[in-house]
Amino acid sequence: MKKLISLALSLSLATALFAGGASEAPAKTETTSQSSGPKAYKVALIIENTIDDKGWCQAMHDGILEAQKELPGRIEYSYSEKMAPVDAGSVARQYAAQGYDLIICHGAQYKNLVMEMADEYPNISFAFGTSAEIGPKNVFTYMPQSEETGYLSGIIAGLTTKTGTIGIVGPVDGGDAARYNRGVVLGVKAVNPKAKILVAHTGSFSDFVKAGDLAKVQMQQGADILTGSSQQAIGALRAVAEEKDKDIYWVAQDGALLTIPEGYKVIATSSYNYGAVMAGLVGKLDAGIKGGECIPMNFNNNGFFWAWNDNLKKAEVAAKVDEAMAKFKAKPDTLDWASVDYSKL
Amino acid sequence: MNYIVTILTLAIASSVSLLLASLGEMINQRSGVFNLGCEGIMAVGAFLGMLVPYLVGKGGPTSGVYNLIGLLLATGIGALLGLFFAIFVVTFRAPQGIAGIGLEMFGLGVAGTLFRHFIGGTQSVPGITTPPIPLLSKIPVIGPILFSQNILVYVAYLCVPLSWYLLFKTPWGLKVRACGTTPRAADSIGINVNHVRYQALAVGGAMAGLAGAYLSLCQAKMFSDSLISGRGFIAVALVYFGHWKPVKIMWGALLFSLAQTFQNVIQSLGINFPYEFAVMLPYVLVILVLAFDRESQRLGPTALGAPFNREIRT
Repeated sequence: MKKLISLALSLSLATALFAGGASEAPAKTETTSQSSGPKAYKVALIIENTIDDKGWCQAMHDGILEAQKELPGRIEYSYSEKMAPVDAGSVARQYAAQGYDLIICHGAQYKNLVMEMADEYPNISFAFGTSAEIGPKNVFTYMPQSEETGYLSGIIAGLTTKTGTIGIVGPVDGGDAARYNRGVVLGVKAVNPKAKILVAHTGSFSDFVKAGDLAKVQMQQGADILTGSSQQAIGALRAVAEEKDKDIYWVAQDGALLTIPEGYKVIATSSYNYGAVMAGLVGKLDAGIKGGECIPMNFNNNGFFWAWNDNLKKAEVAAKVDEAMAKFKAKPDTLDWASVDYSKL
Repeated sequence: MNYIVTILTLAIASSVSLLLASLGEMINQRSGVFNLGCEGIMAVGAFLGMLVPYLVGKGGPTSGVYNLIGLLLATGIGALLGLFFAIFVVTFRAPQGIAGIGLEMFGLGVAGTLFRHFIGGTQSVPGITTPPIPLLSKIPVIGPILFSQNILVYVAYLCVPLSWYLLFKTPWGLKVRACGTTPRAADSIGINVNHVRYQALAVGGAMAGLAGAYLSLCQAKMFSDSLISGRGFIAVALVYFGHWKPVKIMWGALLFSLAQTFQNVIQSLGINFPYEFAVMLPYVLVILVLAFDRESQRLGPTALGAPFNREIRT
């Protein structure tokens, strides 16, 4: 009987491991490009979600594909999805053993892993973000200065709201989400100082249900323009789209949200241009720089895209947004986002 | 008053997935088996629930028949996964905790893999939308709270008296309880303990599958790998919280959802309270109640977690 139990246990564990493994998709090579010209860099991306999450991970994946098009033959690209920080180490080491030149661990949660591996593999470049830290000589960091995109979203919200109430559905109060949300507050206050701003966080980046519930609460409290960042935003947008006959809209922070069925409720969207970051990284590798730099992403260095929903675009609002964007393009780091205190709203 | 209406309306809607899953888990546990794989079954149910409406409508409106097919598919696959779990824990007598964790990973893996294969990325469906009940929904305060809910809300709350009746007023319920409390005595009077546990796990699995489908078809109206987000484990905790009794479990699910919605409102009101604590509030509440509730140690099915082997004297 003990043999039977052991067999059952082994079977259940094997099944579980097989299934778990199925969700943690193995490394996939998107394209393999070789040319006789300049060196083709082998680039690996490690992400905690999936390449089609319509948010954080998809933005980086799309950016790398964009850079591949822009720099033909320069990037060989593989990716590993659904990598929790505890699992990512073995995958990253496999990439290192296979001679990858640049390993991007897309998320601040991978910081410890990257620091440990950077020491272990000094000839390989690593990158992680969001982080404003300057890492070791073979570690790049990147930091979207998303207070700029948030500010533009805030201008739209402040000028469009009819109820005078704006909702922000945040994931956690940290990283680029904290910058975005505070940028929204600054933008709203710049154009509509009397507007009421409701700020709430789900405590997660990917809990769609909670994000939807938060959006419902904010709409019940009178919010007619809502915004928020991270992949969970689609849950909140879904809740907004449920209000088909009401003038309630969403300002997005990911271009993918404009193209989905719920996109009819999206007034405008910003998104991260990781293609520019990637192209910049290739340039640095060409110059022999393996790290030790933080790459900011802002309008000044084409780190962001901006797009409107033509059906909801208003000329006077667009003019204000264009004006602010022109200022950001001319000079970065102009917003004191850290001074925003939610408790004083 | 508006805030109270908002909180109660959303809390009732949010409680449904927990209520259905924990009533199913209660039936499992009453038979002597705890199923930590509830989360995995919910994930598969959530995916299959939205698959048919999505494939037929491609994100656009579909006939209610396809939603019904989705619900039935989710319930059916939940029952099958319950039986699959029973093979390990009843027939092969594998440790229930480990096998349950295996099932949880299996379910999440299967749902994620099928999702990528059939759908590709996060997609939404129109889902099931129920118009408010005429006249009744116009009653101030209780109208929006009680009579403007999704039809599955009423189905879920109807499951409370139904499961009570099933467990405490039918011969089958008596057999289930006997197998969970004194399986040897049940066996001695001719009850096939393993068969009853198989049946209980199928019913519990079906309810977990339906709970998942509620999330994807009625609440979020979309599917993603992280849709369940620990709700399956909360459902297991609620069974202990509710002392294995349907009505108490219902109050537990409501209380948890109420705390969840309440913290959403606290945050949006701009009350100077760290959001991290607000987000923790519902979970802390469950832990505190379980920690201080000595009764839950005493009232549980005494054979819970113990595989039945008629050849071994215990």
